[in-house]
Amino acid sequence: MTFLKTMTTTLSAAALLASTAGSALAVDLQFFFPVAVGGKAADTIQALTDEYAAANPDVKIDAVYAGSYQDTITKTLTAAKGGTPPQLSVILAVDMFSLIEEDAIIPFDGLAKTDEDKAWLTSFYPAFMANSMTGGKTYGIPFQRSTPVLYWNKEAFKDAGLDPNTPPATWEEMVEFGKKLTKTDSNGNVTQWGVRIPSSGFPYWLFQGLTTQNDVILANDAGNKTNFDDPKVAEALQFLVDLSVKHKVMQPGIVEWGSTPKAFFEGQAAMIWTTTGNLTNVRDNAPFDFGVAMLPANKRRGAPTGGGNFYIFKDSTDEQKAASFDFIKWITAPEQAAKWTIATGYVAPRADTWETPAMKDYVAGFPQALVARDQLEYAVAELATYQNQRITTIFNDALEAAITGTKTPADALKEAQAQAEAILKDYR
Amino acid sequence: MMATRFDRWLNTLGAWTLALIWFLPLIYAVWTAIHPGAYATRFELFAPLTLENFSNAWNAAPFARYFLNSFLLVTFILIGQFVLCTLAAYAFVRFTFPGRGILFALVLLQLLVMPDILIVENYATMRKLGLVDTIAAIGLPYIASGFGIFLLRQTFKTVPKELEEAARIEGAGPLTVLWRVYVPLAKPTYLAYGLVSVSHHWNNFLWPLIVTNSVETRPVTVGLSIFSSVDQGVDWSIINAATLMTSGPLLIAFLLFQRQFVQSFMRAGIR
Repeated sequence: MTFLKTMTTTLSAAALLASTAGSALAVDLQFFFPVAVGGKAADTIQALTDEYAAANPDVKIDAVYAGSYQDTITKTLTAAKGGTPPQLSVILAVDMFSLIEEDAIIPFDGLAKTDEDKAWLTSFYPAFMANSMTGGKTYGIPFQRSTPVLYWNKEAFKDAGLDPNTPPATWEEMVEFGKKLTKTDSNGNVTQWGVRIPSSGFPYWLFQGLTTQNDVILANDAGNKTNFDDPKVAEALQFLVDLSVKHKVMQPGIVEWGSTPKAFFEGQAAMIWTTTGNLTNVRDNAPFDFGVAMLPANKRRGAPTGGGNFYIFKDSTDEQKAASFDFIKWITAPEQAAKWTIATGYVAPRADTWETPAMKDYVAGFPQALVARDQLEYAVAELATYQNQRITTIFNDALEAAITGTKTPADALKEAQAQAEAILKDYR
Repeated sequence: MMATRFDRWLNTLGAWTLALIWFLPLIYAVWTAIHPGAYATRFELFAPLTLENFSNAWNAAPFARYFLNSFLLVTFILIGQFVLCTLAAYAFVRFTFPGRGILFALVLLQLLVMPDILIVENYATMRKLGLVDTIAAIGLPYIASGFGIFLLRQTFKTVPKELEEAARIEGAGPLTVLWRVYVPLAKPTYLAYGLVSVSHHWNNFLWPLIVTNSVETRPVTVGLSIFSSVDQGVDWSIINAATLMTSGPLLIAFLLFQRQFVQSFMRAGIR
């Protein structure tokens, strides 16, 4: 009896499945996303995908939180090699070459059928596209993109006798201001550092701000040649080391990335360099008036971009690819991008997003949000090469060796270049 | 006389110092978890107490479901490991069959292989079995534990043959012998191995993250990871509240059964 009942249920369920599959062209999409800015970002992504699913009942999107950026690429590549890649995923822009090398992703160009689609592909800020295209094809669509900016504590500036509304515009000014802002107590312990440029984990990113300002590019567009031993790179590294060793305006040694906002809130550092991804956090938690400025210039202004792009994976059906394309087009459209930017602080990747009423209201009440966008004009592609993880590890190790004083900047960089060369020469 | 007293004093001092050093991070975690964020890095005896960090952490992810998943996961793995490792170890100890040496060498080899290397291969296997995104998929690769087999084999070897022979004379078959003679004598080993296994799988992160996709299957560690948001800076109060919350069940269990655990570690020879 029970057996019969089970049989009939199974059969009717199978029939039901067959009928739904036959009648509607339902498309199932799996979408992996990383979160680097706290729990709320995951809720925003979930809300956006739900909204899309409600408007498009024939598409079912399963948004899967996949950990940090590192975890996400591990999870995605494992799934791809295991034969079940997601249809789309947000992964670091710099991992583009790795994904191409694994033959996991497809360019967007082939999916853009109409003129409107083709125009859409070219509607993003060029600074963000620098990390999203190679060989004339677009492999990534900018989504959670950021750039580092300088945050300064206006009250500390006032206390130090500086104009609270003028951030440092050049390296010299940053050092000069930093000296005034660095305070020591009666025992000679520093209670407030002038500036803080975090260097733990991935020091190459903020350091790329310094190299760009020193007018040198770290790797070519094809991603197969690095430029670490350029004298200008060594000069930039020397400047970073001098901030703590010679000028004594920054805490010596490796400076922790994760606790940087906290140090800023608690007055342990008067100026910090960190990502715009922190904007909402700083706005909510800084107990004082703060300003946001472009990074100071040396030979020129400059900063890298950072953050994640959308990728579409190869191993899916044509319907799934088309649906993924449509979803990405929708979520990066002005209305949705505005919601995302306001919730997180990431830089809206298209000019027209900034024209939406929601964004206009947002920047009217919070003009600091515009700084990152304006800095894009001077921004360059984040360091990205083939074998990206290995190359950046080599480079990070060299930077850390110089920062902790175990090697001179020039020596450390020369060794890093030799190691990178050994890996990359196979890719030319 | 003088020397022994000095010796004992030195021992006590050493033990206390080590215990304190071991305990400090935990004290720090408790301190930050029960105070507002502003007191995370400074000490003030009468700082206001709060439980808000816990409620914030609890609400940041569906932890109730994650706890259930973790609990099911470690139970499933533990039962699987006990059954499989017991039978395998028994076979290695008391039966002679062709290829026994080679098979045991393979088991030992497993101890040398980092599980992380096998992630891609394991994922492909789970997909072929149609198990991706299930709790079984998280546990299965760990069930045939080389360490467990090895440990139980060593323990079974110490069981005097006479006990087994006595049981045989009473008419017990091989499985009854295992159940009545070997398993009861290896209890401390089971307890010690169970603790190691449960705490390892309770804390495992990467493999569960990779092989699961939905709230219904993910364990607490995956829920915990949303707090480590590097771009935004780390909020120690909430992280520590969440960490205490997720490691709480294990900590409490350990404190409750501390004596048994310590004794079984002594007997089982794992330290």
